Amino acid sequence: MSEARVLHAEVGIVGAGPGGLAAAVELVRQGLSVLVLDEGQQPGGQIFRQLPPGAAALPGQEPPSHQAGHGLLAAATEHAVPVHHGATVWNVAPGRLWFEQHGQSWLLCCRHLVLATGAFDRCVPFPGWTLPGVTTAGALQVMVRGYGVVPGRRALVVGSGPLLLPTVATLHQAGVEVVAALEASSRWRALRALPAVLTNAARRREALWYARSLLRAGVRLRWGWTVFACEGDGRVQRAVIGKVDAEGNPRRGSERRLEVDVVGAGFGLVPSIELGQLLGCRTRYDAPRGGHCLEVDGQQGTSVAGVYAVGEACGVGGAEVAMAEGRLAAAAIVAAVRQTPIDAALRTRVAAERRAADAMLRAFAPLPGLHRLATDDTLVCRCEDVPLARARAAAALHGDSLRAIKVGCRAGMGPCQGRICGSSLQALATGRCDVVPDLPVAQVPGKPVRSATIVDAPEPPATA
Amino acid sequence: MSGSRLPGQDQRPAVTFTFAGRPVVARAGDSIAMALWAAGERELRRSSGEGRPRGVYCNMGVCFDCLVVVDGVTVRGCTTTVQDGMRVERGGRP
Amino acid sequence: MVETAEVVVVGGGIIGCAVTWQLANLLPAGTRIVLLDRGPIAGGTSGSCMGHLMVTPDDAREYAFTHESVRLWRELQEQQGGFDYNPTGALYLADTDEDAAMFPVLQQQFGACGDHADVLDRKQLRELEPGLAADLPGALFYPGDGVVLPMLACGAMLRAARQANPNVVVRPFTAVVGVDCDARGVSAVRTTPATIATRAVVNCCGVYAPELQRTLGGPPLPIVPRAGNLAITGHHVSPVRTQLLEISYLRFAHGAAKVDPTRTDDPGGHAVNMQPQSHGGCLIGSTRQFRGMDRTLNPALLRRSLQRAQRYAPGLAAAPIVRTWVGLRPYSLDKHPLIGPWPAVPGLWVAAGHEGLGISLAPITGRLLAEMFTGRPTTIDATAWLPARFGA
Repeated sequence: MSEARVLHAEVGIVGAGPGGLAAAVELVRQGLSVLVLDEGQQPGGQIFRQLPPGAAALPGQEPPSHQAGHGLLAAATEHAVPVHHGATVWNVAPGRLWFEQHGQSWLLCCRHLVLATGAFDRCVPFPGWTLPGVTTAGALQVMVRGYGVVPGRRALVVGSGPLLLPTVATLHQAGVEVVAALEASSRWRALRALPAVLTNAARRREALWYARSLLRAGVRLRWGWTVFACEGDGRVQRAVIGKVDAEGNPRRGSERRLEVDVVGAGFGLVPSIELGQLLGCRTRYDAPRGGHCLEVDGQQGTSVAGVYAVGEACGVGGAEVAMAEGRLAAAAIVAAVRQTPIDAALRTRVAAERRAADAMLRAFAPLPGLHRLATDDTLVCRCEDVPLARARAAAALHGDSLRAIKVGCRAGMGPCQGRICGSSLQALATGRCDVVPDLPVAQVPGKPVRSATIVDAPEPPATA
Repeated sequence: MSGSRLPGQDQRPAVTFTFAGRPVVARAGDSIAMALWAAGERELRRSSGEGRPRGVYCNMGVCFDCLVVVDGVTVRGCTTTVQDGMRVERGGRP
Repeated sequence: MVETAEVVVVGGGIIGCAVTWQLANLLPAGTRIVLLDRGPIAGGTSGSCMGHLMVTPDDAREYAFTHESVRLWRELQEQQGGFDYNPTGALYLADTDEDAAMFPVLQQQFGACGDHADVLDRKQLRELEPGLAADLPGALFYPGDGVVLPMLACGAMLRAARQANPNVVVRPFTAVVGVDCDARGVSAVRTTPATIATRAVVNCCGVYAPELQRTLGGPPLPIVPRAGNLAITGHHVSPVRTQLLEISYLRFAHGAAKVDPTRTDDPGGHAVNMQPQSHGGCLIGSTRQFRGMDRTLNPALLRRSLQRAQRYAPGLAAAPIVRTWVGLRPYSLDKHPLIGPWPAVPGLWVAAGHEGLGISLAPITGRLLAEMFTGRPTTIDATAWLPARFGA
């Protein structure tokens, strides 16, 4: 039962990715006590994934941005930043984080909270997307860079946005033949990202590195193409690819077939904001930044006192943004505790990184026409096995809100809690891609945990 | 078998577990999902409605598509580290 | 052109859908029936409740009421399906001798109604449900109960209604802004986009029924919300296949409330109900607490109900909980639903106030209301549920 599984720290941080770690390092450096909770087994989050100790290293060079990751991880080690790995945070209140670790129920009591919960791949349903071997682009990155596992022999990489190139580069480094790399956006649309890339030195270096690495790999990025379907017996064996128009609508008749054994699809990222929602933090909708985001002020403070959000949770922006925001949040917390001013340079840095990231992301804002890839029998909810036709019938009868669609066909009610289908379900079911989708409702537990974890949840000490 | 490991020296100790009754050799620190992928296994569960094969999808603990049953308890294959002697079964519809 | 309807049903939960379905069956085909809800169909209590089809043998009247409704549910299953109907029966459980002493009492009640239930000893219980705790003294098994998924059942009822009568119109996200009356009674329903001329309105708004009624004058509708905390597991982890209820549920849920329902300082209570779902998950309730329209989770009550569930089915402890939430039951102040005309306003009808039995009783409620509406003799004597008892 509820033994003394109560921990204390001045600052509780959720997520050991670039934003969370940057905040933690800064806070520890300033003498505050910190505890970072992270679901992964290694620090670094998704973007700076680390191999398990002793694993064979990935051959070849790393992109320049990963230097920052190494620096951050080294600083975290140097300052002995405490991180609890394998910790799933399932409930939250101001100054309280309830989490499950190794099947046990814990509570972290703190004065300040930093949400650095990151993002996950935006999924666009297409026929065959549930076949084993068809994964998100992020899944392949984790596979290679987090576990040293080679995904397959012949890979297709599809999607949209700045994460396609790293996926292709990683696969090539792992010795996988990338038979095609398809960017759904048109080349002309993507050119709008160019000024942002050219004016930011780090992004310019990064882009050049990927351009060279693609050249070496002999992979040509095809603009205005995407996957129409995946086929196979029990696992993916073939992919049907084709052209899309400027809005992402599939141009039927342009199809080609490819033999592949792995497909990675990533159409951008969706901010992970559920814990902020459970806290009652105000959200806002920002399509290029991935949809619903946590709203923050000029010091990364959310609308709830003592709760800060950094990185992708405030809108997708990448590792540089996350680290800058992590440092700013740390400074804001130190300022609140010590009544000291915040270094203006930190704010300037956040603004500059956000500007560059936003300009880049605007060029890859989600294409509405991609929702026409799904056919009547394509599953729109992987958890509950709901085909598109049933979701449409639900919207027609129950109403066109996200809640109406859910109660009409149970899409979004499975264990992923609507994360995978949430960004596309409403557009698919209503056929209206141009309206702002409803904010999905967040419920306890923030992620599924054992019944016993809820029953055994420690009570906060009365004096805390 | 498709799927393998990066070339080069892997200094981690071997870990043996069973999947659907068959022995699988993994490396310490592998997640169940990645150990199975490296061993060529793609189907980790059967879907709830139609009983269709499913496997690793997001690989970061979000999608719950890689659910497996470890010693009777349903867990995410991608966030659960393999242990020596683990008995892992396919998740989802029996 | 003025829109007209023979009858406007307000409230797209299970009761409104059942009323629409049964009106469509009994009114001449082609009669225009409009169902409105200011939110989604099944977006209120029916989208956040359990799905117990429950036969209660308290007396002959209650038995006929509940038994006939469960029979109508079976008919809907045969005719439409698609709502995860599962005739699992019900296992009444106890873990104290005092509660176990209620098994033969309940068995006798079923017998007195001409039905039957079996008292199981420890061994028989283990054979039926190996996932139950080994120390349970036994159980009462009643085979006639079932489980449905209410939100999908709303859709099935509306499909059945449209098949019977293509002039059934369903309008989610359409709020009623007022009901007009003239010397003859109800004359029109004003909604957000349009006014519908009609001589009949059925208030099926559940916990919101008093709100609609207030716009019409007359005595207030005696319905207050009673909150329940729920939890659902992931798929294929349910430790049991049969629906489970603590037998103390009968005392707790079916006895009169021991607190003043109109106050909001009720500490609340619980008697666990576990419902296996079609996807192999398990839905766990049921707590009861009067605290107005508050739909925030009560962690203490939820925890106690999960704790009780784990006590009966220990395997649940390791099962992943995917979601928890609160639903509001429409509790009527004398514990009985209101079904029939509201005499103070000619043309106004009420079907609401079913507390925790709304899903179970929806079909018979729809049937009785439609029978009264069309001037037919009722399937069973419905006098006890007439809203007139509240002095309207």
